[in-house]
Amino acid sequence: MQIYLPIAELPVNMFMLFGMGGAVGFLSGLFGIGGGFLLTPLLIFSGIPPAVSVATVTTQVVASSASGVVAYWRRKMIDFKLAVMLLVGGVIGSAIGVWLFDVLRSLGQLDLVISLSYVTFLSTIGGLMLVESLRSMARRRSGALMPARKPGQHNWVHGLPFKMRFRQSRLYVSVIPIVVLGAIIGFLGAVLGIGGGFMMVPALIYLLRVPTNIVIGTSLLQILVTMAAATFLHSVSTHSVDIVLAFTLMVGGVIGAQFGARMGQKLRGDQLRLLLALLVLAVGMRFAVNLLIEPEELYSISVVEEVA
Amino acid sequence: MMRRVCSFLRRQAGGALAGALALALILLPVSGKAENLVVDLSDDTINIESNFTGANIVVFGEIVRDAATVGRPEPYDLAVIVSGPQTRVTTRRKGRFAGIWVNRDAETFLEVPSFLVTHTSRSANEIAPRPVLEQHRIGLFNLNLPITGDSGVPMSDRDNFRRAFLRLRVDSGLYAERSGVIEFLSDTLFRTTVPLPANVPVGNYTVTTYLLRGGALLASNEQSLVVAKTGFEQLTYRLAYNYAALYGLLAIALAVFTGWLAGVIFRRD
Repeated sequence: MQIYLPIAELPVNMFMLFGMGGAVGFLSGLFGIGGGFLLTPLLIFSGIPPAVSVATVTTQVVASSASGVVAYWRRKMIDFKLAVMLLVGGVIGSAIGVWLFDVLRSLGQLDLVISLSYVTFLSTIGGLMLVESLRSMARRRSGALMPARKPGQHNWVHGLPFKMRFRQSRLYVSVIPIVVLGAIIGFLGAVLGIGGGFMMVPALIYLLRVPTNIVIGTSLLQILVTMAAATFLHSVSTHSVDIVLAFTLMVGGVIGAQFGARMGQKLRGDQLRLLLALLVLAVGMRFAVNLLIEPEELYSISVVEEVA
Repeated sequence: MMRRVCSFLRRQAGGALAGALALALILLPVSGKAENLVVDLSDDTINIESNFTGANIVVFGEIVRDAATVGRPEPYDLAVIVSGPQTRVTTRRKGRFAGIWVNRDAETFLEVPSFLVTHTSRSANEIAPRPVLEQHRIGLFNLNLPITGDSGVPMSDRDNFRRAFLRLRVDSGLYAERSGVIEFLSDTLFRTTVPLPANVPVGNYTVTTYLLRGGALLASNEQSLVVAKTGFEQLTYRLAYNYAALYGLLAIALAVFTGWLAGVIFRRD
């Protein structure tokens, strides 16, 4: 069944959208990620204008993270103070991102920046995750114990000024890395249409040493608010949020996520991380191939404005 | 018609030949013209709704002859041009830069129709000589694509952009040229069906019909057509552009509600 998208201004197959939302939702439930980094390229590759894809996925990420936040809130596994600090950075980051998005679109280089960023971030994160998961699998096989977190353990991050105490996370760290991390995620979210959960979670665990059980809920809350801000800013400045597209994706996404979450409980953590790493790398490679191989069509048209 | 002639004149910037041609055109209707055109459309508004997958518009009419009509051996020729709102577009070309393919050169066309379909009774170059076709923009390759004065594209390369622009528009279904698709129901009654694809741009359209014989223009007629979103689609679009902040908040509220609802429905603990 074809459905006309009022902002993208083209009809698409509704079942295809449900399917895509469902498949990405399944993976997001499986891995505990927002799935924006998969959904945005899928939409772009299926012919929806990149600007509309990016802006609309921010709305879809709001929905998928909202259902997770509800669950973690109920279990009191969210560090609100940490989330607020991340958000301060997040809102600044998404404002800069939306502004840059507009500038790049008028310069005709938006697609390039989206592709380049995907290649860079996905291959870096995917590579790191791949190495980490393989190591932990090897460690488990050799029977060595995972090193436990020690109270006195410090890295360079803990030497920074403006320290603040986060009771729920049992942390006493500088706010600088937190705000910067929030800003980077917010910026990427606005420019690339990704929630950034797959970057936020490892950063909070490895860099700031936030306890793992607090990380997911807190990161989801931060993503929810940052993406809500990005949705709002995109609506106001680029007018490219397609509410019909967003809603269709959401419905497929939230249903898929439930099945994914059930499946996820049957797999071990390092296996999940290995699969996720391969997935992230594959998407990154797909973008790299597009940039490196001579395109079949060199020309493209973009409408600048209507002439009265 | 006058506006068309005037804008044509402006573009030609005082070409004496063009001036003479335009003068001839203006004088034509009063200088004992024998044929006239009566044209109408099956719809004067195309409504885009959520199930819109394209539409057809039937252009039909009659060639009206009077006592002054001279019987001649050449057949009547018709050209029907459906033209969408004028837009400024940029055509970009990818080139290799530091090993990757990026948009490099660009050419901006100042005033081009967002939609253009030409239907002719037989192929355009059989109907009339090139200057006549160019003047009335009959046929895609006779379309004037004005560019900016400060275009950085060298002369030798401009045709590549022009051709690429037309090719991309044809591929996307927004431009088309079809010949032999005007049906004559009698000597003077004619009809043609113009398909509007699903991605047809919204706005005010003009449907221009030209009657020619032996390479000369006998009469023309212009009808207007509106392509508009209606109902929910129109509301959504208006909200997104005119009340952007409210639209953004609605989108967020919808997303949070959907997410929350899913969390409640699938609650496991």
